[in-house]
Amino acid sequence: MRDLMGDLTGRIRHRRVNATEGILAGIILLYCVMVAAVNPAFLSVETLFDIVRSSSTAVIVGMGLLLVMLSGGIDVSFMSIALFGSYVAAYAMIRLKIDSLAFAFAVSIGLGTILGLVNALLVNWLNLPPFIVTLGTQNLFHGVMTTFISDKTFGAGVIPSALSKFGSATLFTLKTRQGVMGLTAAVIPMSIAVLLTWFIVSHTLVGRGVVAMGNSPESARRAGFNLLKLRLFAYGYIGALSAVMGVVYISQVNAVYPNKLVGSELMIIAGAVIGGVKDTGGRGKVLGVILGITIIYLLNSTLIFLGLSSSWNNFFVGTLLVASVGVTSWQNRRKNRKNLLFTE
Amino acid sequence: MSNLVLQARALSKKFVGVQALDKVSLGIETGTIHCLAGENGSGKSTFVKTISGLYQPDEGDILLNGNVYTGLTPVQAMREGVQVIYQDLSLFPHMSLAENIALNRLRLSGAKIVDWKKIWRIAKEQTEKIGVDIDLNATAMETSMAGRQITAICRALSQDAKLLFMDEPTAALTRQEVDRLLKVVQELKNKGLSVVFISHKLDEIFRISDNITIFRDGKKIGDFASGQLDEKSLAYHMTGRDVRYPRYRRSLGDDTPLLQVKGLNKQGHYQDVSFQIRPGDILGLIGLLGSGRTEFALSLFGLNPPEEGVVVFEGETVRVASPVEANRLGIALLPEDRGSQGLFKERGIRENVTSTLLGRLASGFRALDREKEREIAEEGVKKLRIRAPGIETPVGTLSGGNAQKVVVAKWSAANPKLFIMDSPTVGIDIGSKAEIYEMVQSFARGGMAVLFITDELEELMCNCNRVLVMGNHRIIAELDENAMTQSDAERRIADLIGGSAGKEVEV
Ligand SMILES: Nc1ncnc2c1ncn2[C@@H]1O[C@H](COP(=O)(O)OP(=O)(O)OP(=O)(O)O)[C@@H](O)[C@H]1O
Ligand SMILES: [Mg+2]
Repeated sequence: MRDLMGDLTGRIRHRRVNATEGILAGIILLYCVMVAAVNPAFLSVETLFDIVRSSSTAVIVGMGLLLVMLSGGIDVSFMSIALFGSYVAAYAMIRLKIDSLAFAFAVSIGLGTILGLVNALLVNWLNLPPFIVTLGTQNLFHGVMTTFISDKTFGAGVIPSALSKFGSATLFTLKTRQGVMGLTAAVIPMSIAVLLTWFIVSHTLVGRGVVAMGNSPESARRAGFNLLKLRLFAYGYIGALSAVMGVVYISQVNAVYPNKLVGSELMIIAGAVIGGVKDTGGRGKVLGVILGITIIYLLNSTLIFLGLSSSWNNFFVGTLLVASVGVTSWQNRRKNRKNLLFTE
Repeated sequence: MSNLVLQARALSKKFVGVQALDKVSLGIETGTIHCLAGENGSGKSTFVKTISGLYQPDEGDILLNGNVYTGLTPVQAMREGVQVIYQDLSLFPHMSLAENIALNRLRLSGAKIVDWKKIWRIAKEQTEKIGVDIDLNATAMETSMAGRQITAICRALSQDAKLLFMDEPTAALTRQEVDRLLKVVQELKNKGLSVVFISHKLDEIFRISDNITIFRDGKKIGDFASGQLDEKSLAYHMTGRDVRYPRYRRSLGDDTPLLQVKGLNKQGHYQDVSFQIRPGDILGLIGLLGSGRTEFALSLFGLNPPEEGVVVFEGETVRVASPVEANRLGIALLPEDRGSQGLFKERGIRENVTSTLLGRLASGFRALDREKEREIAEEGVKKLRIRAPGIETPVGTLSGGNAQKVVVAKWSAANPKLFIMDSPTVGIDIGSKAEIYEMVQSFARGGMAVLFITDELEELMCNCNRVLVMGNHRIIAELDENAMTQSDAERRIADLIGGSAGKEVEV
């Protein structure tokens, strides 16, 4: 019996990455069936489009997070960067009367990348845990913005029309009983982010270098990788994607607030962890992150269908997070015991 | 001078509290196999890492193919054709073996895009070249020590090396694999490559080396042509004294068995294993890796429980289902698979040595007794001659062999009734081996029972008063105390393991 168990776990472990994703997909499917059983209205194109729209921003930045976590680091300042980049871009557009979406993206991405590089340099120089460093820069970036640039709110009236148009743009529309439905144009930047990240992680040497560094910084150094460069790349990348996400976000809400976004990092980190990205680095997949984030947003937007209040959301996400972290640590403990390390 | 691929000139390197290299000058000729020998902590690995650009020497410079370097980087070293199989293997645990083998080469080639077909081609080519069969899809973490070592070897061979450093590449390999590896090394030499080979197994050194350089305490003692030395003089130069191994005879009067094992079975692991062991016995268990001996040893420690059979410990039938239980009964295991494991690298020697004792040292109010811990750790350091600045030195900074001595000290500190030692002297220098034998034998004289698993006949003969020979997953012979005192004992055992060696061993 034990042998069989050992055999099974061995096999599962072998295909662990796939297993994580399979389990998540299963959970999503099961949950959808359950919600649909309670409330058939759930099964509609409208809900699907809705979830895509609300999760698109998270997926974009989740891709950046994947890279940073693969490198063995973490970034909790990305929302601050997203806000910084998009706020400054919008502010400049309003002040300079430039009404161009390209300008918004260019300015935001430029700033976001710079702030990401600042994170990388600080992590490298201070030699402190990235969590501490980026917790600091989270406040620093936000503070710099509200103190030195502006802390005004810009509502629907003043927002440049290029942004509001992009926010409400749809790719194609469907006529349903509820009316005309469209798929948000945000799927374009989202798809680009997903494909690009997948390509970088699995088909470029920089990407493999980042993974190598997350596996073992010393071995990566011995292989001739420059750890500082890899770090600059990973943190710069999440900075750039955060900035993209910021522009998508202000377009969608059709307003610029100086204090939104910041503080909601943890949900996305939770999504990545639920999706099987290892917090100590070196392992994680694009699909996992997408599924992890999907679960969170699915819960978020379907509780109404179940007639539950939104406070249940935290409960479910928390349970999932604890479960996934618990399973990982249990697996670790088993492995450690096999290697005769007793940590308990 | 032009036939020197490497010339190190007066290299010095100091770490906190240790002069790891002290004005070492050394030349490696093109197309030769050059062995570095020296005790644990004498600076061999530090020398290697200095030449590969990982450490910057405090003084001295390095000539590679005639080019002078004072601040050599890893990439420069690789460009000059320096490749290293590091003692700690330096693998990426969550990456597949295929990628582990090929990534460094891709990196050096300056490729920007990863071609997975190429990765697989490189990996397959290399494993075929040295004729091994490993699961290239598995991650390094899921692979046995031998498999990892082979991966590291393949990785180094996959690149166009001019100078290949092999820092104890054979520590975890079976005899056949060692043979194959040494053959590959000879072939490389014939192709004009230079190989620097580090090993504590003297027979390997004499089998392949052209030149031997001996290190002691970070200094070079001398360069010798291989023919100038024999095992005895080499040992003398390494340690500065004559090394003699003590021979063990059991002297205890009490013959009640401590452990009886009857008909232990586990499909595919071991079959029909029966024997008994008394206090004061050092029962040798020899057999090639893959003969089932490690699987069997793990089962007595609760890690690989048998499907059938009876285990009687101190007169009571027991089921050892977990290491915790084994610990409670008084059974300890010094694992074979400990190259990088069994230790907390960032923690000090003291914490590591006493980590098996947590329960026991915790007095009533569960506070650890610091004073007692220090005593135990200091005793271990002294008895096993662990070379370290102090007992708080992080284990990660110790030399490979000294880290292994910490593992030995750790499991000895538990003072068990039955001590299972699986290859306790792998990677340990010949001088320190004597200390370990001394320690094991004094344990046995004090009434401990020891199950001593080893590959080396010499150490089997001097430590064990009884011997079991394992082959093909079962015990094929048992030599009792009487048989062991016969003059033909060593030959008999050698024939037995030679005979069971025919079967290919899977990694
Ligand atoms: N990174 C480091 N930090 C501090 N001390 C170190 C470091 N690396 C090596 N040392 C010390 O330098 C000395 C030489 O170590 P080295 O690893 O070169 O020995 P070695 O000859 O390879 O021994 P072994 O046969 O055990 O592998 C040791 O005393 C070791 O503790
Ligand atoms: Mg060494």
